Amino acid sequence: MLDLTNVRVQAHQALQLIYVVTSAYMFWKFLSLVSNSSSPIVVVLSGSMEPAFQRGDILFLWNRDTLNKVGDVVVYEIKDKVIPIVHRVVREHHSLSKQLLLTKGDNNPVDDLGLYAYNQMYLNSQNDLLGTVKGYFPLVGYVTILITENVYFKYALLGFMGITTLLGNE
Amino acid sequence: MFSIYQRGQSVLNFAVTLVGFISAFIFITSLIQLQLTDSFHKDSSISTISTASSVKFSKRFGSVGGKAKENNKIVFDLQSDLTDLFNWNTKQVFVYLTAEYPGKTPESSNKVVYWDKIITSKEDANLTLTNERAKYSVWDVEESFKNRDATLKLEWNIQPYVGLLTYGETEGIGSFTFPDVTEEKPKSQKKKANRRKNN
Repeated sequence: MLDLTNVRVQAHQALQLIYVVTSAYMFWKFLSLVSNSSSPIVVVLSGSMEPAFQRGDILFLWNRDTLNKVGDVVVYEIKDKVIPIVHRVVREHHSLSKQLLLTKGDNNPVDDLGLYAYNQMYLNSQNDLLGTVKGYFPLVGYVTILITENVYFKYALLGFMGITTLLGNE
Repeated sequence: MFSIYQRGQSVLNFAVTLVGFISAFIFITSLIQLQLTDSFHKDSSISTISTASSVKFSKRFGSVGGKAKENNKIVFDLQSDLTDLFNWNTKQVFVYLTAEYPGKTPESSNKVVYWDKIITSKEDANLTLTNERAKYSVWDVEESFKNRDATLKLEWNIQPYVGLLTYGETEGIGSFTFPDVTEEKPKSQKKKANRRKNN
């Protein structure tokens, strides 16, 4: 009743799928380790750094610099706010123990004081940063924006993947 | 053996590899071009015409809880030709005028931006500014920074079409000392400004 060869083929396919997922995950974690950043690659979501970075561009982060320089583009997170922000450092004040940064979007008229938490005047470069932007590649990240913001695209992609797996089965 | 899936996979693999190599080639040749034009040692001349500090009480000017915060602004002249920074991989050049000054302790240091500009075309890259006002009102982490000496430099960042962000600074150096707080410009500095204008 049970067709063993069929089960074997199915198991093989499942294994391959798991292999793809885990290798992608390992690659991500490896990048994390090398760059010392919890998210070493980010997709630009806002236009506040235009025309340098547009929505959908991807940025490669590095988080091993001990001191940030004025002019660095950093990615930071504010307490209780979900989305990380990509802006440029316009002021830095450092002593031996810590460094304070003020940031601003190139395309914004004013600095980021209004974006920081209540009564926060600076970013702490040790705690608040996800990393410093070092590398840039245009447009590729737009896929993730489409997936998260466009339901039809998500279904189309899932459908396409399903069909290709069925066809690949032969 | 040759399923659609496998064919798609190998085409995709080839495309990704090719795009990677082309991108690397574009970036590396653009770096070589920057070296050939000596772009990391560009001339510039920066001079401070006047500087004035005043006291502010608003959060927009760095004041916490309505306490007095010293704010400084400068007026400056600037000349620098950054045309060579534009090549096939330059999307924009971000130029910024920085002032570096010491903190209270010898280990501490500060650097702030007084003025910046996004340049997106070669034609706008030859900068000549006279009597330009600072874009930003600058305050310190401490309440006051008067009598400290600041060094002005013009720095730049090339935003590439693809590759790594490139940074550099021009050779020119300007300087000024943070003045005492005044609501108006001191007379001596006004005179100096006039003298410069006449020259």
